[in-house]
Amino acid sequence: MANKKLRRTGMLPELCDRLDRHQIETCQDFLSLGPLELMREAGQSYQQVQTLLRTVSLACAPTMVTALELRDRRSHAFFPTSLRGLDAVLHGGLASGTLTEVTGPSGCGKSQFCMMLSVLATLPRTMGGLDSSVLYIDTESAFCAERLVEIAQNRFPKYFSLQERVVEMAQKIHLFRELTCQNVLKRLGGLEEEIISKKAGLVIIDSIASVVRKEFDTSIPGNLSERSSLLSQEAATLKYLAEEFSIPVVLTNQITTHLSRKGTAPSHLECNVPEGKESPVSADGESGYVTAALGNTWSHSVNTRLIVQYLDSQRRQIIVAKSPIAPFSVFNYTVQNSGLELEDGENQAGSSHQGTDPGLQPIRVRTAFNYCLTHTTPTSSHSTGVH
Amino acid sequence: MMQRDVASFAFAPAVKVRLISAGFLTAKDICDLRPTELSKEAGISQQEALEVLQEVRRGPAEQGAAESRLTALELLEREQALGTVITFCSALDQALGGGIPVGKTTEICGAPGVGKTQLCIQLAVDAQIPGCFGGLGGQAVYIDTEGSFLVERVVDVATAAVQHCTLITKDTEQREALQSFTVETVLSQLFLFRCHDYVELLAQTHLLPDFLSQHPKVRLVVIDSIAFPFRHSFEDLSLRTRLLNGLAQQLTQIASQHSVAVVLTNQMTTRIGQNQSMLVPALGESWGHAATQRLILHWEGKHRFASLYKSPSQREATVPYQITPHGFRDVQLPDPSVTPADPSLTPSLNSRKRPRGEEGDPSDA
Repeated sequence: MANKKLRRTGMLPELCDRLDRHQIETCQDFLSLGPLELMREAGQSYQQVQTLLRTVSLACAPTMVTALELRDRRSHAFFPTSLRGLDAVLHGGLASGTLTEVTGPSGCGKSQFCMMLSVLATLPRTMGGLDSSVLYIDTESAFCAERLVEIAQNRFPKYFSLQERVVEMAQKIHLFRELTCQNVLKRLGGLEEEIISKKAGLVIIDSIASVVRKEFDTSIPGNLSERSSLLSQEAATLKYLAEEFSIPVVLTNQITTHLSRKGTAPSHLECNVPEGKESPVSADGESGYVTAALGNTWSHSVNTRLIVQYLDSQRRQIIVAKSPIAPFSVFNYTVQNSGLELEDGENQAGSSHQGTDPGLQPIRVRTAFNYCLTHTTPTSSHSTGVH
Repeated sequence: MMQRDVASFAFAPAVKVRLISAGFLTAKDICDLRPTELSKEAGISQQEALEVLQEVRRGPAEQGAAESRLTALELLEREQALGTVITFCSALDQALGGGIPVGKTTEICGAPGVGKTQLCIQLAVDAQIPGCFGGLGGQAVYIDTEGSFLVERVVDVATAAVQHCTLITKDTEQREALQSFTVETVLSQLFLFRCHDYVELLAQTHLLPDFLSQHPKVRLVVIDSIAFPFRHSFEDLSLRTRLLNGLAQQLTQIASQHSVAVVLTNQMTTRIGQNQSMLVPALGESWGHAATQRLILHWEGKHRFASLYKSPSQREATVPYQITPHGFRDVQLPDPSVTPADPSLTPSLNSRKRPRGEEGDPSDA
């Protein structure tokens, strides 16, 4: 609404012409000026300028809705993820109209989660799906169609036993491969039309971090603020789309090492993990820990943050780190043929309402563990170097 | 008044130029003329001449002057009558001197996920608590710029608040008030505006005085957050500062003229220092002067704390709080490990004056 032309706000045409000569054509231009400047450019008195401000504001202000109307309007407000414990804590699933971020180390299951959600979205509503198509923006080339079909056939074997259903599901998932920041921005700009023409009910971007981190080197001064600005812009576009069409938007993020003074790293909830998690210590005594990438501003921009991390060689954990509706929760899961499967379905965070800063929550990565490999330990003949 | 320059009046620039070039330099030169005479001499239209004369002849008290003189006693009485919006965390209410003050602007800064939106939703519900329970019995306006407002959460918080009041109902007046204090009415009296960018936010702020005049029962205006729309697409930082200052002034004026509590949430930003980076409130240094009161919410380890950072009337204090399924609450158990960094204030019994006395005090969780 900011770009609405002044001519369409009900202002007198002569006045619009006069303002055009000063390059004031849209509501945005008009409202960005102070009253004195407006008096000068429009040639009106103070009282008249106040009236004009009111006219222009009426033209581009949002309409009011009461919370009651909003509640009654939102019939399908949550998208179930089919991970029962997670859905219970999230009041039903991923909230439509908001941005949900999944972040964690590589290989932990973020892309698997996204592919699983894609399958779920195409299912009919009676089976917990959204009965709509999916727009999948892939920047890491992690999307694998065969894996998609494998997840579908293993998770819902009866439903997908018919080949036509598999084909139908695959046809509903629209994949876009974008490899630079500019392309991603352009794609987001055109997303509105795609959503309408393809009747999309879910937008997935996997991942939002990779292109940004490739192109912005934050050690160069000025790049950090430019990167934050770009990310905020992307977030604003996505939030607008999510809300306008009442759909959930899922993004994936990467991890980074956060260096801080020793002793100030926040303690996190210990959940049945073996001792011995060591954080890398650099030469001058600063210890670092791994946390979500893209910085503090980005942590503000997403509405929900789910962190995936390693628990041991087989099991992983999914943590609800930031949510407007759910408390801090931890669930164990494994990655199988059918996608992600929760263990036991019980929340291991306990009943306390504690948590940690979602921008600083330490994330466990794979290198911190020893693998228990299945083959035997080396025999003494090997250790002496004799073959 | 008679010596006032013509140039200082709020006329249209073209009219001013004509008046001055016709030789009218002060108010005294104009006020005795008739409209037709003025229009002929200055070369302006008769309508314009009439407007000029009306403006010049108005007394100083009517020329859009701000509030007339007040004594401090009148101000004190007025402030006490205005009341506060409680937060349901008694420690925080005590540190704030009763709650979020009506008639002033309060800023809430905090790191992501610490509970700013939760506190705003709690306040939007608490502003509607009926007077006989110690609340204001008003309506609430919620301007959402981030999209974090989930109505399902409001339902949870409102249900808990209604239940709490039901449990402490003692007399008939309270029972009657409960009839009109239900989850449905709370939702219907919460007016939501979703602004997607800063232009919509500016437009909505221009229209807010009219809206508040049409809905005189509104006692709380929340803007969550004021930072998000201003943190991107702004190459010209001086424009941003100017717009933010204008907004701050408008909101301060709205708060006092319409007797509403204005609550703004702000984000944190990373400031790269010498060899470390710190989190500071966003929107720049000059924004720190915008709100009357500033509350900073932060994490310490696993626990959340609220610090009153800037206030003209209360001491600086830091109190612990938590977010439960019911909303924003005190930290219940007197856990000795939960001590804030600044142990200047421990939660003690509520001793503030309330119109209703200690009975029916909603903060006794």
